[in-house]
Amino acid sequence: MRARLGFVLVLAVLALAAPAARAQIRIGAILSVSGPGAAMGVGYKGAFDFMPHEVAGRKIEYIIRDDATDAENAYKIAQKLIAEDHVDAIIGPSLYSSDVAVQPLANAAHVPMIAMAPLVPEPAKFPYSFAVAQPLSLMVAVVFRRMAEQGVRTVGYIGFADGWGDQVKAAALTAGAATGIRIIADERYARTDTTVQAQALKLMAANPDAVMMGNSATPAALPAVALHRLGYRGGIYGNHGIVSPAFIRVGGAAVEGVVADTSPVAVYDQLSDGNPIKPVATAFMDRYTKTFGPGSANPFAGYSWDAMLLIAHAIPDALEKGAPGSEAFRTALRDAMERTHDLVGVSAVYDMSATDHNGQDARAAVLVAVQHGAWTAIH
Amino acid sequence: MMLPAYYVTLAGYIGLATIVALGLVLLTGIAGQTSFGQASFAGLAAYATALLPGTPPPLALLAGLVLTGSVAWLLGLITARLSGHFLALCSVAWGISFSALFGTLPWLHGFNGIGGIRPLTLGPLSAADPLVTVAVIWAAVALSWLALRNLLDSRPGRAIRTLAAARDMAESMGIDTVRLSRATFVLAALAAALSGFLFAHFQRFISPTPFSLTASIEYLFMVIIGGAAHLPGALLGAVLVTLLREELTDWIPRLTGATGNFEAVAFSLVVIVLLQRAPGGLFAVLRARLPAAGAPVRAAAAAPAHAAAPPPAAGPAPPALVVAGISKRFGGLAANQDVSFTVGAAEIVALIGPNGAGKSTLFDIISGQLRADLGEVRLFGHPVGRLPARHIAARGLARTFQHVKLLPGMSVGGNIALGAHLAGRCGVLRAMLRADRAEERRLHALAAAAATRVGLADLLGRPAGTLALGQQRLVEIARALCLAPRLLLLDEPAAGLRHQEKQALAALLRQLRAEGVAVLLVEHDMGFVMDLADRVVVMEFGRRIAEGVPAAVQADPAVLEAYLGGAP
Amino acid sequence: MTPFVFLALLQDGLATGAIYLLLAVGLLIAFSVTRVIFVPQGDLLALATLTAAQLESGQVPGTLWVLDALAALALLLDLARLRGRMRWRALLPWALYPAAVTLAALFGPRAAPWFAKLLALGVITPLGPLIWRFAFRPVADAPVLTLLILATALHFVVAGVGMVAFGPDGASVAPLVAATLLLGPFAVSGQSLAILLCCAALVLALRFFFAATLTGRALRAAASDRLGARLVGIDAAGSGSRAFALAAFIAALSGILIGAATPIAYDAGFEIGLKGFVAAIIGGLASYPAAAAGAVLVGVLESLGSFWSSAYRDVIVFALLIPVLAWLSWRSRGAGGA
Repeated sequence: MRARLGFVLVLAVLALAAPAARAQIRIGAILSVSGPGAAMGVGYKGAFDFMPHEVAGRKIEYIIRDDATDAENAYKIAQKLIAEDHVDAIIGPSLYSSDVAVQPLANAAHVPMIAMAPLVPEPAKFPYSFAVAQPLSLMVAVVFRRMAEQGVRTVGYIGFADGWGDQVKAAALTAGAATGIRIIADERYARTDTTVQAQALKLMAANPDAVMMGNSATPAALPAVALHRLGYRGGIYGNHGIVSPAFIRVGGAAVEGVVADTSPVAVYDQLSDGNPIKPVATAFMDRYTKTFGPGSANPFAGYSWDAMLLIAHAIPDALEKGAPGSEAFRTALRDAMERTHDLVGVSAVYDMSATDHNGQDARAAVLVAVQHGAWTAIH
Repeated sequence: MMLPAYYVTLAGYIGLATIVALGLVLLTGIAGQTSFGQASFAGLAAYATALLPGTPPPLALLAGLVLTGSVAWLLGLITARLSGHFLALCSVAWGISFSALFGTLPWLHGFNGIGGIRPLTLGPLSAADPLVTVAVIWAAVALSWLALRNLLDSRPGRAIRTLAAARDMAESMGIDTVRLSRATFVLAALAAALSGFLFAHFQRFISPTPFSLTASIEYLFMVIIGGAAHLPGALLGAVLVTLLREELTDWIPRLTGATGNFEAVAFSLVVIVLLQRAPGGLFAVLRARLPAAGAPVRAAAAAPAHAAAPPPAAGPAPPALVVAGISKRFGGLAANQDVSFTVGAAEIVALIGPNGAGKSTLFDIISGQLRADLGEVRLFGHPVGRLPARHIAARGLARTFQHVKLLPGMSVGGNIALGAHLAGRCGVLRAMLRADRAEERRLHALAAAAATRVGLADLLGRPAGTLALGQQRLVEIARALCLAPRLLLLDEPAAGLRHQEKQALAALLRQLRAEGVAVLLVEHDMGFVMDLADRVVVMEFGRRIAEGVPAAVQADPAVLEAYLGGAP
Repeated sequence: MTPFVFLALLQDGLATGAIYLLLAVGLLIAFSVTRVIFVPQGDLLALATLTAAQLESGQVPGTLWVLDALAALALLLDLARLRGRMRWRALLPWALYPAAVTLAALFGPRAAPWFAKLLALGVITPLGPLIWRFAFRPVADAPVLTLLILATALHFVVAGVGMVAFGPDGASVAPLVAATLLLGPFAVSGQSLAILLCCAALVLALRFFFAATLTGRALRAAASDRLGARLVGIDAAGSGSRAFALAAFIAALSGILIGAATPIAYDAGFEIGLKGFVAAIIGGLASYPAAAAGAVLVGVLESLGSFWSSAYRDVIVFALLIPVLAWLSWRSRGAGGA
């Protein structure tokens, strides 16, 4: 084991000697491809199969890593991407708690990172952090406005017993306060549970006008199915984590009528013709289905794509200030990204500023419902 | 020179894992127990320090250690008397409950964790430099290592080594194995807690994920891969698993084109193969390939005269042992039926009979390993039938076993010193702080004296497993002598001994008798028995069929018929 | 809590408890015969649901190829070991059986729900003996703790196979009974009844198997006295293989029952399996009736716990272990040190 430690030291010395500046641009990505977040992570990763390999005449090298839905892993990976691979920017992490863990690291090293979980960037504190995922407050607010229109006064909440469940709940509280809708029940279940009968009964007992779900992927169908079986008459609302064909496949008739917010790209072909996102999202989805086959569409792929879009958009400016691999390049990249105006992505139109590193507006959230066994946009 | 941050971090993680793994080596490799809750123990301490932001770090550490220690102690208490896998399964339940609680309780900040934990400071050294924390981590590794090494080379350490496979023997040496295994579990948990405290200040962000059941299992895998039976195995495992995972996360996507948590699968496969082919882990494999270093021979200290002074004889001394009406059944088999006899003070009594006559069962009942269904055992006038073995040992009874129960990897001296357990008082803490040296010297002197009496003085440094069977029996006798017994139970002590050795043994037993020690022995060598014993008790099919002086027993027709099979 | 709610919770808890009961029985069989605490049982459950679901959707599941590959490897190793002395009867199971299952999967009416379920049972059950063959048989005499760690490592391997074969999304199978029975105002789910009936049928079948068949009695003998069974000529390795086949079959059956209209993902089985453990531990890892009672208790408590305070449900269920273990521990005081 002495030899092992020696080996590490040798590596360390070699790494010190590594030249920093280089011709190609290196992008690191931290995605939750396995573990509890895998169902979404697969989408995040898919987009990298057809990302541009050249921008402004420079080759782009992608280093994709899986944090196994574990913030500690993400932290280690980020450290390695920064210190050993000398990446010019980090796409991700795609997991919220990983974003929180990695953010101080990337900022201290002056590496721009584009969070893909609904992290709310704080440019004053973390100037190198950006986010492409719509803030949950924005998304959930759309759902609550819909509820208010439908005359909903009280809502029962049911979500995962994990970070996602906590975040959607927090956003629901804010949105509820804004729309005058009260949350009168909070039920939780585990992603791997096989029954939510008890939670559904408890919700029925509270008798809310509607139910809001803070869950994601296929296990999100459980509460909808249970409530349907118990004959619940109110509306069932969800978040963008449930908008996938698999949710309908598993939920069947029970999820008919479920309403959720989502990213425009999820219903790209149903956007109104005047929507600037429509052509961009259509082109993206054509490429995605060409790579992965029809029916494979995964809205989470759009976040990776938009993150790279932001970077690619900023690269020409940044190249004037420094060579890839240098701090000057990374800082210029950050500055250029902060100056992004009206950049049309597949999930939002980005308008960044020194105080807003998310840059999204209401166009980033679309309301959809399950109609006749398919996600359909509600205009 | 500034080390690149990545390697500093990696060294930090290796150190953190090593601390947990060191505790697991003690628990799993040496004491033969397993825990699936080490990560959650680390989590307790990590959350304790994160939730006490204003407290000085040493106090926060203390709070974490106390909290973790108490939880571990309680878990140990609950499963105290169950076999080891119940403790392991209990720790699974605890690990899962921990994650659920820490994700749910609002004041623990939920599943998204706590950020912005202050880094550790070392006086004027920069607080933000991870190098400082890594230095503290490795200092903690060194201290834990030293403490555990000290512990393993001490009175409680020797006793801990019996927990894996020789609890019966340990109990009959007066060792409280239940308490000791609980203490071991707590110690391992405290090591994890130390690691968790440092982890919180190193990563400065904590959430329930790194303290999950999966993380606990990974620590266990580290120890299995590195080698569970020796402290270096912990470091080896932590280094290998941490480095390999870094490499695998790079290489597996390149090789298979797929991204996924394949490291876990890869490590699992390694663990399976190792458990099948090399249960000692890689450390054992490496050590087997290195040239064997000569085992250091512990210099025997000047042996003081053995002080097995007979108790002050005030009035007529009660008989050393009274066995009255003992019966014991195993299912349909009656091992002992209404057996009665006595052994007087300073008397040598032999218990003979064909195989399966129930002699060893009777030994186990007398020494407290088994409980009789009926009947009474009195030791020096006091009923001991319901006392546990270790209390009977404390009352002056020592025994050897028919199937030799030694720790084969431990030196002869260490094995014998196990018998001197009751002659010492130093506990785990003093052992770890090396504050037990005076007592250790005394115990080793006792062991050396006992070894001299049985003629093993030259072999003290040899691993006990390398001795011939006859010599191993002598080690057991020496170990029993260390208890300074007033009644000695010997189960086939002469089996495997050469003629001279038998003579020496007989002489030793006579001398003990002269010192006032009573001896009860089971032996098949009739010449040896008839020469030595004052009286002989004969058993067959669980019953006593004859009793008397050797000459009378030899002439007893029942004995000749049943036992000697009519032979002259 | 109204009586209506209580009955609904009870129904749900009993159905889940029946699954835990099945798993606990599988665990006990495997443990008593081989001393292996069969951790990957829950993962096999998930594999069974996913296999059946994929067959129902007309696809050929990856687990079939896993079975074929492992069986081929076992066949090759056995052939190499036997060399000249062919004992065809011993080898046939590893050749004929997988071939039959593969043919049935490729050319049979795999999308028919009943056929898909039978086939899933056929694919997952032999994985038990194969796991025994490759993982445990070489170390059959190792200490219980070693076997436990080995079984834990296997959990990651089996779950990894599930991830590769089926991806991260959950899937469900068609329910055996889609109808709902109305008893006055109270609705009884047909699937819940089906689960309870299957569970009762399996328990009765096992009773018959252990009491009246030669193989079953040999297994029972191997469980109660390993050494004795070996002395009277009961093949210990064969007993292990059969015990694992039973455990895997029970896991597969549970997967098909619980996966009706409930999405099961590759990593969902582990926690279901753990609840089976809790039940088995309540039975002291020895008593079938106590384990069955424990399973029902866990299921009902989980259901009630979810109603009282869903966020703390797991804590409530695992906290149940504490008094049970304390009692087991206290009771074993009388037995002396060991």
